[in-house]
Amino acid sequence: MSAHGFELPGAAPATPERAGGVLGAAQRALAALNTTIMLLSSLALIGASLILSYSVLARYYFKAATYWQDEAAVFLLVGATFMTAAYVQSRRGHVAIDAAVGFLSPAANRIRLFVVDGASLLFCAFFSWKSWTLFHEAWEDGQVTSSTWGPPLWIPYSVMAAGMTLLCMQLALQILIASQKSERA
Amino acid sequence: MSTLSVGLLYGGATLFAMFAGMPIAFALGAVAVVFMYFFMPAASLDTVTQNVFEEMASITLLSIPLFILKGAAIGKSRAGQDLYSALHAWMHRVPGGLGIANVFACALFAAMAGSSPATCSAIGSAGIPEMRKRGYSPGFAAGLIAAGGTLGILLPPSITMILYAVASEQSLGRLFLAGIGPGFLLVMLFSTYAVFRFQQEYQAARTEFDRSGQEHEILREHHYTMAQKFSVLPRVLPFVLLLTGVMFALYGGFATPSETAGLGGLLALALIAVIYGVWKPADLEPILSSTLRESTMLMMIIGMSLLYSYVMSYLHISQGAAQAIVAMQLDKWLLLATILMLVVILGFFLPPVSIILMTAPIILPPIRAAGFDLIWFGVVMTIVMELGLIHPPVGLNIFVIRNIAPDIPLKEVIYGTLPFVVLMIGAVLLLCLAPAISTYLPDLIMGLPSTR
Repeated sequence: MSAHGFELPGAAPATPERAGGVLGAAQRALAALNTTIMLLSSLALIGASLILSYSVLARYYFKAATYWQDEAAVFLLVGATFMTAAYVQSRRGHVAIDAAVGFLSPAANRIRLFVVDGASLLFCAFFSWKSWTLFHEAWEDGQVTSSTWGPPLWIPYSVMAAGMTLLCMQLALQILIASQKSERA
Repeated sequence: MSTLSVGLLYGGATLFAMFAGMPIAFALGAVAVVFMYFFMPAASLDTVTQNVFEEMASITLLSIPLFILKGAAIGKSRAGQDLYSALHAWMHRVPGGLGIANVFACALFAAMAGSSPATCSAIGSAGIPEMRKRGYSPGFAAGLIAAGGTLGILLPPSITMILYAVASEQSLGRLFLAGIGPGFLLVMLFSTYAVFRFQQEYQAARTEFDRSGQEHEILREHHYTMAQKFSVLPRVLPFVLLLTGVMFALYGGFATPSETAGLGGLLALALIAVIYGVWKPADLEPILSSTLRESTMLMMIIGMSLLYSYVMSYLHISQGAAQAIVAMQLDKWLLLATILMLVVILGFFLPPVSIILMTAPIILPPIRAAGFDLIWFGVVMTIVMELGLIHPPVGLNIFVIRNIAPDIPLKEVIYGTLPFVVLMIGAVLLLCLAPAISTYLPDLIMGLPSTR
């Protein structure tokens, strides 16, 4: 319930269920990748702050034109957002309305979660696919943004596509682990 | 299919996906994409991602992660407690001064951190035990903090206001300024109530003492030495300077809102490094990772909400609904009351960010047509959404209080917040009677608006 961008102290984010075998290996690999991404995204966050602060200084002390700073910060922040989406999903940090949980039996809830994750996966898969085609087009046609700086658009598009793909992998993994568990149960 | 039936289907599908428990971001995106497939030209599906990217790649929206960073840096340091003890040391001579100190601490911290629940947690964890130790009733202490926290999304920089500015195409600087007057109004109302309630509790204890000789902590006087009063200032003043400095940069025209966010985030990190020695990577990791978790979650909802409203407007659902509301020719105050009720009800289920983005295209045209100022309405809508934080069934701030003071029964917390709910409704009514409380400051500093 961090709809306001807040986590209750003490309510630690859900730790992922541990799985064995191939799935366990995949889970560990993805977790390691996510840790690296979190580090890079933290740097992106600080980088964006630095760039924006620099643009204030540049304008008032050096009278320099600030034409690339906003866009560079946008790229960094969009990148950090999409790349960390999988990490957030691994902690089930994308808020949902959990009103249904109380009305359903544990078995029905498992099915509900299965369907909900499946639908999320379908949507994210579609989104990743369209992000990759967008990236491909931008790459082929050498598209650039409409600003005077005009950096190539494939940069943010590729990050968006990669992040959404990672999110799909995370969702698929969660579905597989859940189904493995219910088979055993 | 008529616009009405498509609209009903769209709303129904959204409700179903959300109540099934699909993450809000994916539910909004999935519903939007499915409706694109059935009701919009095939080519529109190809541009879904471009659409989301272009909507999200706005530096105003992307200042949100940076504002969250600033809030997390300050919120996870000891700044809240220090701010609190400083105000307490300076104000304890005023009758009810401890209560007032709490309200002020909440307001200042809210302005620095920009989040209601974070304010409750930071100020409450020091303030509630202190107030109870000094004999304030637990319900009163809890209510005061729960309500004080709500100043978080009213005082700049406020994330909900950033979104409102984007959704309503109003000036963010103006909107921020418009929140300050009502913010002060609420601080005054809360403080006045704190003094009044203190007198009541003091009198009750006094009478009891005179009758039975029963001692009560609230009757005891406390003293602070000058050294105590001054020792905490060096740790607190830099944060207050940061707050005012950043605001000065924004309104002095030195920096855009997003540059302010970047500068604020960086300076907050620098301050906690210098004052509290929080600079090692291991110290910074929790701040940065919670910032990323929160901001990614919010930005995904925001991106998908924008896609959702794009589809809604392409299919003429929002325009149709807006026209239907305008055509009802409701009395303007009845219209306002109805819309605010709708906001309250939506607030039971949805975070403020999605309420704003999803409803803005439907409710803003009728509000504008009825002759209301959109900046003013943004402030009123924000206060109403804040109300949802301190009353059941959601009441996020109530849960925060339960978390930091688990021994106060839920019932007492809720009864403690009730007077503040009434005060906030009173503030909304005052704003309706005297819109200048909100619009005076922006008009004074930024000049009269050309068009609204």
